[in-house]
Amino acid sequence: MSESKSIHERKHVWRDEILLIVVMCVFVGIVYALDGALKPQFTPSTLLLTGVFLALVPAFIWLVFFYLQDRAEPEPKGFVLGVFALGALFASGVGIPVVEGLFRVSHWLYTDTLSKIIGGILVVGFTQEYLKYAAVRYSIYNSEEFDEPTDGVIYATAAGLGYATVLNINFVVSNGGVDLGAGVIRMAVVALAQAAFSGITGYFLGRAKFESEPIWWMPLGITLAAIFNGVFTWLQVIVTQPNITLSGSTTPTWMGLVLAAVVALTTTGVILWLVRRSINSLQAGK
Amino acid sequence: MANNQGSLGDRFAEITVILVTVVALAAGWFFKSSIENASIPFEAEGITAQAPKGWLNFEPSGEELFRAVDRNSSGFGTTYVIRQIAVTSEATASEVASAVSLGHAQDLLGFSMLDQQEVRDINGRNAYMLTYAFVESNPDVTHAAIPSVVRGADFIYVSGERAIVVSFQADEKNYDLDLGRFYRFLQSLNFS
Repeated sequence: MSESKSIHERKHVWRDEILLIVVMCVFVGIVYALDGALKPQFTPSTLLLTGVFLALVPAFIWLVFFYLQDRAEPEPKGFVLGVFALGALFASGVGIPVVEGLFRVSHWLYTDTLSKIIGGILVVGFTQEYLKYAAVRYSIYNSEEFDEPTDGVIYATAAGLGYATVLNINFVVSNGGVDLGAGVIRMAVVALAQAAFSGITGYFLGRAKFESEPIWWMPLGITLAAIFNGVFTWLQVIVTQPNITLSGSTTPTWMGLVLAAVVALTTTGVILWLVRRSINSLQAGK
Repeated sequence: MANNQGSLGDRFAEITVILVTVVALAAGWFFKSSIENASIPFEAEGITAQAPKGWLNFEPSGEELFRAVDRNSSGFGTTYVIRQIAVTSEATASEVASAVSLGHAQDLLGFSMLDQQEVRDINGRNAYMLTYAFVESNPDVTHAAIPSVVRGADFIYVSGERAIVVSFQADEKNYDLDLGRFYRFLQSLNFS
């Protein structure tokens, strides 16, 4: 990397992250309202196609924001898309087969609170976070284009959204389509959560490359992201627990979206502060 | 500014990440096994076994002494059943097997016998094994779903004037994956 190149904070990266959260919530609201008002009738094929389309929306929104705003010093779009595709590929080729096929988490993860937290961290969290880390570490990380700490967040978010897209498509296909209202909330939750956890890994990757961090630095990043991932899964089950009343049962699916939005906003805020601090210290040390 | 691209420290960090992930997944595997192998003791009519913990257990009814269903199975819930059937002292395991398969043919939709043979079970006991398949027409009443194909295996033991039938039934997709655990259940089975 060229020493003469100045390191600066790309403010739009944070705008993109926050816009993704806000626009996803608005999008979910619109789809939910339309579903309630129009009550569309789907054939099995159109239901499946609609589900797959919805699964692609979060990544599309983020990529559009990114493309529109990353003009001052553009990141090669091909690389961003490549890391997105790699995240998606790792999810379908390794992540889902390991979590669902090898570990068969659906058979034991939801047994009790302890299994949700421990299993969520050790199996789901570590598998997902390692693969998203690998999508960046073994592609763009050693490239000249990875030239600022913020790049870690950008590329890790791309990998996370790729991963989330495949998780959502897998959910749609394995269920033969999804209920439009609940389905769009689930997709937004998965996308926001995966993007947020990736942001943590991305921050650690960015610092690992540009500052002399100890050997435990990157493992700490993956572990933190995995812990957030596992705890989020557990919290999501709690907040979306169905309420049984005399008139029937209701599932507060919206609470999952609220939780995901709060987690994503908080994580983005903390990472923004940490990256700023890191950039300031790098600039001061020049 | 430090750029330790491809440095030795970077490689060590990379190896450490892999090691930490492998250790976490290994710990996850042990944790999964500890949950899946957790058991509770079952005892009735001189029959004892270590039944899976956390499964839905049904009250004994008629010949059926034990029925447990894995609520977390996808599709048809993996089921273990122990039945005790009164037989004459001259009855052979193959005769009991014929009666059991006839009962299945009457009770189970699309019942189809796949194989039947005398075997030695995991504890070296003589048994008669039936393997079969049937169709579960409505595995989940909460939403419309295509019927699932269920595979089953019955182990029939004749002991004095009773026959003990231990059944394993699982969704076709889960059958092979769940069979190992059923064999551990069978291994824990004792009867006098």
